[in-house]
Amino acid sequence: MASAKPSIAGAAPAGRRPNPQLAQFKRTFYFLSRNTLAMIGLAIVFLFVFVAVWGVFYSAPNAALVSYCGTTSSNGQQNFSSVAATCPGVTLCTYPITSAPIANCYPVYQQAPSQIAPTWDLAHFSAGPLPFGSLTVTPGLPYFYNPFEGLIKGAQWSLGIAAGIVLAGSFIGIVFGCVSGYFGGVVDEVMMRLTDIFLSIPGFLLVLVIIATIGYTIQSLDGKILVMMGAFILTWWPGYTRIVRGQVLVTREQKYIEASKASGARPGRIIWRHILPNSLYPVFVQVSLDVGSIPLALGGIAFLGFHIWPTQYFPEWGTIAALATNDLSEQLLVCTGGTCVFPWWQILFPGLTLFLFAISVSFLSDGLRDALDPRLRR
Amino acid sequence: MKMWIYIIRRLLLLIPVIIGVMTITFVITSTLTPIDKIESAYGCGKGGCTPTVPCNESNPTGPQCPNELYIHYYDALGLNQPIVVQWGNYMERALTLQWGMTDANSYASTELLGHSSIPVATVLSWYLPYTLELAALSLLLILLLAVPIGNYSAVYRNRPVDQGARLMSFSGFALPGFLLATLLLLGAASLFSFLPVTCGGAYIPFDHFYGSWPPSGCGVPSWVGTYDQSSPTGFPIIDALLHGQYSLALDVFVRLIIPAITIAYGATASILRFVRNSMLEVMNLDFVRTARAKGVPESQVVRRHAGRNSLNVTITILGLTFAGFIGGFAIIETVFDLHGVGLLLVDAILPSLDYGLIFGTTLLFTIIVVVANIIVDILYAFLDPRVRLG
Repeated sequence: MASAKPSIAGAAPAGRRPNPQLAQFKRTFYFLSRNTLAMIGLAIVFLFVFVAVWGVFYSAPNAALVSYCGTTSSNGQQNFSSVAATCPGVTLCTYPITSAPIANCYPVYQQAPSQIAPTWDLAHFSAGPLPFGSLTVTPGLPYFYNPFEGLIKGAQWSLGIAAGIVLAGSFIGIVFGCVSGYFGGVVDEVMMRLTDIFLSIPGFLLVLVIIATIGYTIQSLDGKILVMMGAFILTWWPGYTRIVRGQVLVTREQKYIEASKASGARPGRIIWRHILPNSLYPVFVQVSLDVGSIPLALGGIAFLGFHIWPTQYFPEWGTIAALATNDLSEQLLVCTGGTCVFPWWQILFPGLTLFLFAISVSFLSDGLRDALDPRLRR
Repeated sequence: MKMWIYIIRRLLLLIPVIIGVMTITFVITSTLTPIDKIESAYGCGKGGCTPTVPCNESNPTGPQCPNELYIHYYDALGLNQPIVVQWGNYMERALTLQWGMTDANSYASTELLGHSSIPVATVLSWYLPYTLELAALSLLLILLLAVPIGNYSAVYRNRPVDQGARLMSFSGFALPGFLLATLLLLGAASLFSFLPVTCGGAYIPFDHFYGSWPPSGCGVPSWVGTYDQSSPTGFPIIDALLHGQYSLALDVFVRLIIPAITIAYGATASILRFVRNSMLEVMNLDFVRTARAKGVPESQVVRRHAGRNSLNVTITILGLTFAGFIGGFAIIETVFDLHGVGLLLVDAILPSLDYGLIFGTTLLFTIIVVVANIIVDILYAFLDPRVRLG
């Protein structure tokens, strides 16, 4: 590693061997680039990463967290003005839900859900049209939420948390898996029993329980997020450990490891220079798959009503989708008679974001598996 | 190796896992305050949750004396003992099913258990059959979906069937469970909105697909207890059949179909790829070529020679992903308001915490996963002789 690597920048100088790792990377990318679905996945993932980075510098015109013509103070507390007020740029109005909708008007349901007879008939709902980025209406509550801005602001949270959890989990898994697989014997036995134990506890439930017991005693946002990430890492490291160990068991029987041992290399060097680089590929595949499932899991947690965020309307993809889903069934119950607006955009855009991200990483993961495993190439 | 030796060896490996799992729940429990620990173990009904009580009962604001009952509970739980002894106590209580009491004032108790403090193990025994029925139906659906679709996508590799299976596999992973469940519920309710809803004049939304039983206005039978505990077996469908109420049994069964489809769709997605790939490998093996060479029809080759293999793969992957599969029940049971352990856990956590129930349900779910893994291993050894012979 410490030796000079002149070949990284461009063509190798005459007489030098090309960097083998760079060549390997190029070869992998070549195989990956021939897989259309994987390239589409990669493009979408890059788009989302770009949005996340852009979102850090992007200040929404009416902030991701807006209230009905109210203000959001720095601690997330929402203060509301009177219902009849209007927000700049958006026409808001109150009208009885039995009357015909007024153009560019977003209905505000003033009745509490219990006062209106519920219905399940979708025929009562018109499908819009409403402009992209329309405000979300929560029945009975004067909250407004712009899903478009929320999704932009949420990218950094969703991707950041997902990347943090997956990187930490895979780091622990790589270390434990290498040690366990390389040394074998008692160490291996103890490690594997430990992963058995963690794998028998349903991960999602363990996360819920940890948030409920430890997370609820912590007040600060950073502390809550750290506890939640810790809970996820606790449930995910055993999977990575298993994967790495399995690969190490294969790798350590190779001739070049034997050669390295014969020439007197210490275990640390053998693991670092030979076993580790040759055992990492399955981890890449798994990591790219897992990154997509974390926003889904966060959505599940929010859907069940867990307060891991400072406000209910915190911009995080899973949370936005979960709240919209909750509100949707609630609104269908509330609205009856006349023409009600079926709030499809509330659920479509957050849901589509989650779906696109998860499916593009699974395309990418599938492509990576094919590109990295010589048996599946072609 | 004989089958029973294999089973015994597999059961012995269980002991460290069970000890370890209980140790993890013990570690999480030990972050609680002594008052919470006493409450989750004994309940607060007898007034043992306050360290001090007024010395003179007629003067509540007067001087405070130590609470005898609190001290008794404190000693009985061994909270003044070293942590190792506490761990031993915890293990003993967990193994003898003394999983504590529900909190009479918690949300779960108010909503589901009528404000009473009941032993957690008893409550779980009422709720478990509902979850098991849902799990059984979902598993059946998974087997019915994964095996044939996986086989056919391998046989018709890269043809429309295969592409469709791939799409199903990817979308099943990427669709959030709560979203799919809600949309299916709304869709079904909208599609079947012509069905009559007359239950004592009360209008109940999503009536046919929501909840474990028909709403109370529709007349819940007498053999279903106050807290929905069904008798004699506890399994609602079986009980309804035993009592000869076939239409009720059908109703209860229909309520499980959409939740089971939601669960099976997500789980099948993760299995399909493995079934397909292993089937592709098997189709290239010698014995398949031999079967073809001796003139066995292609459908027979796929079904009997190569296809048996995909059942093994399905069961193995199911065993590996069972923990994730059962973890999803919390969300599905909440969406459909099913009377299962997952709903119990969510209600025990949400507006107010009921630690006895939380740790009881976690322990129960873990035991389900461990037992399921054992069953999978034994089934696997039964289906594939190489495992027990090798």
